[in-house]
Amino acid sequence: MVAVEVEKMLRLAEQCLERVKSFKIIDSGPKYNPRPGHRRVLSEGGGVVSLFLPPEVFQRLQTVESQDTRKELTPIEEASRLNQKLKANCEARLARLPPAQARTQKTSLTLSLQRQMMENLIIAKARRFAASGTINGEEQEQRVLYTNILEYEQDHDWPKLWKAKLKKNPDDATLVTGLVSCLLSCPDHPVIKLLKRLQYRVYNRLYPIVSKSLPASPALPMKPSRSTQSLLISDSHQNVSKSGTGHSLSSDLDQEFLVQDLEMHALKKHLKAIVKDIHIAIDQLLSLCLLSFECLNTANSKDLCVASIEEAFFTPIWSPLLTLFRKVHRERELSFESSMRLYQDASPGDVGVASKLYPQDHVVLHGSYPYESAVQELRLLCRDCCPQKKLECIVRTLRLICACAEDYCCLHEADSKTAAIGADDLLPILSYVALHCELPQLVSECAALEEFIHEGYLIGEEGYCLTSMQSALQYVESLHTGGFQLHNTKSA
Amino acid sequence: MATGGGAGNKTYSFKVVLLGEGCVGKTSLVLRYCENKFNDKHITTLQASFLTKKLNITGKRASFLTKKLNITGKRVNLAIWDTAGQERFHALGPIYYRDSNGAILVYDITDEDSFQKVKNWVKELRKMLGNEICLCIVGNKVDLEKERHVSVEEAEGYAESVGAKHYHTSAKLNKGIEELFLDLCKRMMETAQAEERAKGNGASQSTTSRRGVQIVDDDPQAATAAGGCCSSA
Repeated sequence: MVAVEVEKMLRLAEQCLERVKSFKIIDSGPKYNPRPGHRRVLSEGGGVVSLFLPPEVFQRLQTVESQDTRKELTPIEEASRLNQKLKANCEARLARLPPAQARTQKTSLTLSLQRQMMENLIIAKARRFAASGTINGEEQEQRVLYTNILEYEQDHDWPKLWKAKLKKNPDDATLVTGLVSCLLSCPDHPVIKLLKRLQYRVYNRLYPIVSKSLPASPALPMKPSRSTQSLLISDSHQNVSKSGTGHSLSSDLDQEFLVQDLEMHALKKHLKAIVKDIHIAIDQLLSLCLLSFECLNTANSKDLCVASIEEAFFTPIWSPLLTLFRKVHRERELSFESSMRLYQDASPGDVGVASKLYPQDHVVLHGSYPYESAVQELRLLCRDCCPQKKLECIVRTLRLICACAEDYCCLHEADSKTAAIGADDLLPILSYVALHCELPQLVSECAALEEFIHEGYLIGEEGYCLTSMQSALQYVESLHTGGFQLHNTKSA
Repeated sequence: MATGGGAGNKTYSFKVVLLGEGCVGKTSLVLRYCENKFNDKHITTLQASFLTKKLNITGKRASFLTKKLNITGKRVNLAIWDTAGQERFHALGPIYYRDSNGAILVYDITDEDSFQKVKNWVKELRKMLGNEICLCIVGNKVDLEKERHVSVEEAEGYAESVGAKHYHTSAKLNKGIEELFLDLCKRMMETAQAEERAKGNGASQSTTSRRGVQIVDDDPQAATAAGGCCSSA
């Protein structure tokens, strides 16, 4: 009973905290907190929760909803309203002209007025068509969106200007990125409105899951209520024989296992659904974007376009999204953490790195440790908020590993010629680097990358780097079980 | 994962995974192939021109390499994925070889054990990827013929029995390597073309679905535990 009261008070406090934070975060945006103590990363899992804003606040942070009253009007009314506005504009412009000029300009202005009024009526027809329920929902939505784009382009000149520019230089990458970033900075554009809407939808689905505090306390691995596996995990490095107690758990605990299994299953299902939603959302955004700007429909421009859309889409939702991934991959993170603790002081040789690929001489290292630059780089991965950027970070890490390996090789001048870093060498080094990173959340980050990186990248260098990273992480996770013997000579 | 380019002017992209025990010379093999500038004699005999572009990121990196070729007027981009030979990384094989068009399985002719490992890989690949993948079994280090422990007949017979092709190479002497890769490319192109024909209407794209191959399950325990008892939404 006391626990219930405490729980209530905690929740209240948490809500207060959220309120305060929502005010504070408004101008800085939800940002990721690099954790000061790596060792405690996992245990902080529960604390992260209060970082997330309630969906209402999240939505308010997105562009302020446009106060359009237009929704009340029928398409034809809307068109006539627009046409009136146009006419008024035209008349005003005519009035401003000096009389002599006015005569010649009048015809052309009138013509353009007529053309625009015609366009408005066409749009109105399209909208009325969209409103008549003869087509399915998806098609209808497409039509509405398309109409919105046409409308937008009537009211704004910048899309035309960019289109003209791109027509002259269709393959100019800077033009393409310029256009896309211009687009992203226009909160009124239908593409961006859709982006915010879809983003909000995802956030709204994530929030109830990630804001719910876990039933178990932060000190998860130590609690008997965890599965036998994690019992083994936490004990294995002290006393393996203890694992026997895992089997004599009471039926109460069995019950708890069952609940946890069900919970985990539900979480995985949620995750799958949300991942699917995000894929659909990105596809939708891209196709609308290409509909607005046909000129972007080339292989290269499309890639640039997707990259920008993804960055805009993922940045505000990455943190809650990752929290969900972390919940699902909790056991794996715990394994990683155990290995991390066990191998705190391990040398590269202990995880199988060939001796010529790291200096044994401490003087050479100037007080640091081997492959430190790669470790530092990999730690930055958690700072980025979009998959593509994170992937680039992994690629940079692997390059740094190769650069370091080459340097170390040169120290052993005897056989500097045979220093091709194949996978046989790369994976042990990468495992060593991952261990020293001391960030169990890497496991979840990479699992998320695996879901969101495009197929096209997966066959290339980026894909190779991600795959190697995944392998290294899995290897690290398996280290603490002792299934793998330490390699080479473990120095006393 | 062969992707088409413009009409009639297509570019194939193939992923080739390199498997084999440590020390059989996988890395040197592929390094030889990608580093070697084209050789005139080969061009005339094999009627192919080679354009080498190595993604040599830091001077000596050799775990991931790409090569662009032109075979009978068709452009081919090869992405060659090296894997770690050590036993302790074997559990991670599937994430390397998924979506591969070809596999090069290397053994050391002086090491019977490494040939056994190749047999294991063949079994696994056939089981996981079926007959879509082009397999090459490669006996490396033929420069050490005197110390041969795997007989030519046995190796070639085995390759034939599993629908693979067998090659004899020496990374040291740069023997048989160009032939191996060229042959593999041709076979992968044939497979891709057959696939396209099977799809009919000459669709130039034969991309797999977004998540073509299932990712290996991260947590077998969780999977089995959740297997039976789940009806929750």
